[in-house]
Amino acid sequence: MRRLPLLSTLILAVLLAAPAPGEDWNQFRGPNATGVSRESKNLPVKFSTTENVVWKKTLGTGVACPIISGGRCIETATVGPKGKQQFVVFGFDAATGRELWKTAFPAGTLPSITWPNQHASCTPTSDGERVYVHYSTIGLICLDATNGKHLWTHKTSMPFYLLGWGAANSPILHEDKVIFCLDDDLASYILALDKYTGKPKWTTKRPEMLGGYAVPVVVTSGKQTDIVMAGSGKLKGYDPGSGKVRWSCHSLLRTIMTTPAVVGDKIYVSVQSYGDTDRTLKFALLQWRDTNQDEKLDKTELGKAFWEKFDKGDANKDGFLTGDEIDDAFQAKTNRVGGGNIIQMIRGGGTGDVTKTHLEWNLNTKAPSNIASPLVVNDQLFVVKEGGISAAFSATDGKTHWPRRRIRNLGHYYASPVYGDGKIYVTGENGFIVVLQQGPKLKFLAKNDVGESCVATPAIAEDRIYVRTINTLYCFANKSTPKK
Amino acid sequence: MIRHSLAFGLTLLLGTASLPAAETIAIVVGSKATAIEKDAADELATQWKRLFGVTVKRFRDTIPKSPDCRLAVLVGSTSTNPVTGHLPGFTWPKISNQGLVIQEIAVPTPPKVLVVGGGSPAATFWAVSELGHRLGVRYTFRQDFFPPQKPFKLPRFNIVEEPELRTRTWRTINDFAIGPESWGLEEHKRFIRQLAKMKFNRILMSVYAWQPFVDYRFRGVQRQTALHWFGEVLRVDGDTPGRVAFKGAKIFQNPDFAGLTTYKQKIAAGKKLMTGVIDTSHSLGMTVGLSTSVLEFPKEFADALPGSTKVHQLKSLTIGPGPTNKPDDPVLTELISTRIRAFLKTYPGLDALYVSVPEFPEWNAHAQAAWKELDNRKSLGDHSLEKLVTSARNRNLIASGDRGEASIKGNVVGMAFFCRLFDDGKLLKKPDGSSVELVIRQPDPALFPILDRVLPTGASTLNFVDYTARRIAESKQLLAQLPAKKVKASLIMTLADDNVGVLAQSTTQHIDTLTREIRKLGWDGFSTRYWIPGELDSTVHYLSRASWDAKTTRVSAHHDLWEGILGNRAGSERLLIGWNHLEDATHTLDKNAIGFGFPVPGMFLKHNSPGEPPKWFNDVNDHYTQWMIELYRVQGAPLHRNGSKQLLFYYAKRSEFNVAYLGAVKALKAAATARKAKDLDTAIEQMETAMDQLNGAMTSLADVAQGQSDRGLIATLANFAYRPLVKEYEKLLDEADK
Repeated sequence: MRRLPLLSTLILAVLLAAPAPGEDWNQFRGPNATGVSRESKNLPVKFSTTENVVWKKTLGTGVACPIISGGRCIETATVGPKGKQQFVVFGFDAATGRELWKTAFPAGTLPSITWPNQHASCTPTSDGERVYVHYSTIGLICLDATNGKHLWTHKTSMPFYLLGWGAANSPILHEDKVIFCLDDDLASYILALDKYTGKPKWTTKRPEMLGGYAVPVVVTSGKQTDIVMAGSGKLKGYDPGSGKVRWSCHSLLRTIMTTPAVVGDKIYVSVQSYGDTDRTLKFALLQWRDTNQDEKLDKTELGKAFWEKFDKGDANKDGFLTGDEIDDAFQAKTNRVGGGNIIQMIRGGGTGDVTKTHLEWNLNTKAPSNIASPLVVNDQLFVVKEGGISAAFSATDGKTHWPRRRIRNLGHYYASPVYGDGKIYVTGENGFIVVLQQGPKLKFLAKNDVGESCVATPAIAEDRIYVRTINTLYCFANKSTPKK
Repeated sequence: MIRHSLAFGLTLLLGTASLPAAETIAIVVGSKATAIEKDAADELATQWKRLFGVTVKRFRDTIPKSPDCRLAVLVGSTSTNPVTGHLPGFTWPKISNQGLVIQEIAVPTPPKVLVVGGGSPAATFWAVSELGHRLGVRYTFRQDFFPPQKPFKLPRFNIVEEPELRTRTWRTINDFAIGPESWGLEEHKRFIRQLAKMKFNRILMSVYAWQPFVDYRFRGVQRQTALHWFGEVLRVDGDTPGRVAFKGAKIFQNPDFAGLTTYKQKIAAGKKLMTGVIDTSHSLGMTVGLSTSVLEFPKEFADALPGSTKVHQLKSLTIGPGPTNKPDDPVLTELISTRIRAFLKTYPGLDALYVSVPEFPEWNAHAQAAWKELDNRKSLGDHSLEKLVTSARNRNLIASGDRGEASIKGNVVGMAFFCRLFDDGKLLKKPDGSSVELVIRQPDPALFPILDRVLPTGASTLNFVDYTARRIAESKQLLAQLPAKKVKASLIMTLADDNVGVLAQSTTQHIDTLTREIRKLGWDGFSTRYWIPGELDSTVHYLSRASWDAKTTRVSAHHDLWEGILGNRAGSERLLIGWNHLEDATHTLDKNAIGFGFPVPGMFLKHNSPGEPPKWFNDVNDHYTQWMIELYRVQGAPLHRNGSKQLLFYYAKRSEFNVAYLGAVKALKAAATARKAKDLDTAIEQMETAMDQLNGAMTSLADVAQGQSDRGLIATLANFAYRPLVKEYEKLLDEADK
């Protein structure tokens, strides 16, 4: 008689604590990288390190966005002293924060990267059964989502960046494939792996691309579904089955760090790339890599990894790259794009060069950020950039809702804005998250202090918002939010 | 005072071959070795492990005869390591207590012998650090930089050196949150050890009457004041830009005083800190001086010194003798004596007491009487007060004209007073009966020609002359007037001035000029003056090397440091161009707006005036921008050695700070201009830009903040620049609403 109630209590407790499927935010910026949660309600306006905290975990350094899949919250970190660092993937019960599993890998010899990037920068993706995540020194890893068991690793070559940024590329899932694009300055590519076995299904080189950080998005137009990838100068649509390029829109800029936002068959791109439209790569390299400022590059001024490309560009074989030889070495002749600012709407679908047929509108505005991606919701495109300067436009025709308004928090903006429950959450690097009322006019609701540097984009799922600061993972919710 | 270098510096690459696995290196110390010499031996072992991957074996008083032993390194001198005295064919060179020896001795049977020692335990420590330098280690005050490890191989050393400047003083504590007043003991310890490796030999703790370092009572009045940074409370909570540097703290504090609230607690913490600094310095063979203005007291002593007056300074925290307090006022003398005795009792480890000669206009009326008194005591001969006053009025220093006259008169009274106070030596006695050295600090340069006659008996001097090295270099003829053969003299070398303030500074070219000058004139040495260590690595390295080697130039020291750190010349060349820009920025500010970044309330809003920035402002901006570009260029280049990228990134972010700070000033002026023209939209926009820039400036600093000075700078800007700016912005919004 005594055992039964105890047992039922135990079962009930286990059931309550067990991960339950619900609304997922299973990759960078949630559903198809939109940053939009359609289901979450009653999201908190006010929260802090002590207010409306459901749970929190100290992880170690990282800037990957948390993901929520199958009732689990997955996050990563690099931990340990220099030389003995480990890459750790964590699985938590999304509702309670209970650590379900933790899987560590030796990080190996880590390359120099540029702040605010961190080595644990890739946002994982998950189908609820498996977790997929990339780490520059290891490759693309697959873990069992239920227990963190390592299932397979697809080795990837070490990415190299001429300006030393470091890797920060995230995979997505499409049907039975893991899609992963890695644009660096050495050997850009996009590939698809069998999500069960890790075996490559296809790999497509992207030789005309420079280093970049866009995440692939899926766009369906009519009966055509494409994997769409933004990169240097071009937005490209790939056949998910074969990896072949179906279409290409040649309207982008040199350096692409933002991810497009997709609504239906419309693709919204917001990019700021340093310099004017004539500023091809050579200007940056002569400014920053020509150490002795003799107007030419020698091999010692570039990392060894680039020497093969160097030789390719050194047309007169004098041991130096000068003038156009520099662009020839690293930037495809057919894709010599420069910098600038663009906000564009491009229709998906089509074949071949769609620049003239699918580019619906293009804004010449200083509103775009170079890193924070655009948010498109309720027919409004919202962007925020350095200094906490926001702007909003009609998603239909690009007309201005507001051109340039401060959101009451200064500083750097690396995380992308996200939306849920009628509110826009804008994360500043300084550890303040501004909450705005989404609408045709800028309406400030709150400025929340999460205590430390925050570069990762938050996740929204199941009426909760998950925030990863430089060291800590928080789950915030209104106290009145019932536990699902 | 003649400093001759005995540097043979022969580096004949006869060298021992790389070390086979079975062979060993022995470090031999004497059984009489001091703690410093043992520390030196440990340092050598640590360095060789990093440099060559070799593990040394320790021996005492004997050279191992094992055939496996390839090399025996004898650490110490003949007096502490007897083995050194019994080496066939080796005679210990004639050196002073600061001389160092690094010599390979030709011995008939293996192992080979390398003597690494000095004329004192401290000099032995310097010999080890000099050996490390010659093997490629580069010392900075933040860390050591090692070249890549390679097989064991030594050049043949035959080095005997004496310093060119015998007193190499590093000043600490001082005032303002941006300076070492904010450093705790742990930070001090790390810093002092690095200074010892750079062969500095004195630490000078400069303290103020309101700081929490000494307790005393006088005529029933208990001292109560125990403050930092002039009593300012520096908030770093809320949305303080760059708050990440404070790790959640609400108020910026010296870590050794964090959370302390009572006077007693603070005094105890202060005593612990300063005693720790003294002990650390002594453990590395450095002497320690305490510098204070003996004529200033916390304001609670006002009633105990009838006639006293408030001292003109920030927040008026202290009192000093007023016009009615004659220099021979017995109460004043008693109060000063009480305070000095309290210091010597609290800090019996002190080696020197530095007393400053303040500018007290209130005492000027007594100048003629003081002159007579000095004449009676010291026989001033043909010199006259009038001539000194004329000289002070007409010189090309900040203190000239009326200020110059006030200064020299105050100095004459002060000197007479100090002679009366210290001539018998009683007040300089420590509790154990020994005496501290007396150093008169900052005598007016007009006194230089007669300095030997007006000083208290046995006193040496620490001379200021002017605020910046550039200004002193322009008036360097004054230095020649000091009778250096009769008066032991050091020069205050301003590495970075608090008036130029919060902006990055470097002035090594003028430090170079002054170093050459004082060496030529036979001065004893120098004492540093700075607040933020920030960009001073190159300057400190220059001082470290030029103090021992007259051939060192600013450029040679730069490349010696940076080629050593980076491992390549090209990067060092670019950094030199960058540092030239930094020096140009520093000197342009010094010439045109010396108080531009003085870190006090009102420091930022004083720029809230309409008008275009002047040409010099744009020049300074260009120089800082170019410096930043060179830093990022070199920082991003490949093939650097361990740690150098991190250091360059630190500089690069700090360079960003300067550009952003100037951008904020420029936007603030543009806002004021628009406001004056009633264009409030533009004014608001510019004000937002100013806030944005200032936020960016502070965030850049926070990204790389390494020490308390860096954090103190952010805290200072938060309280004296950013928050007042936000308030002004809100006023502007209200104005626009109306």
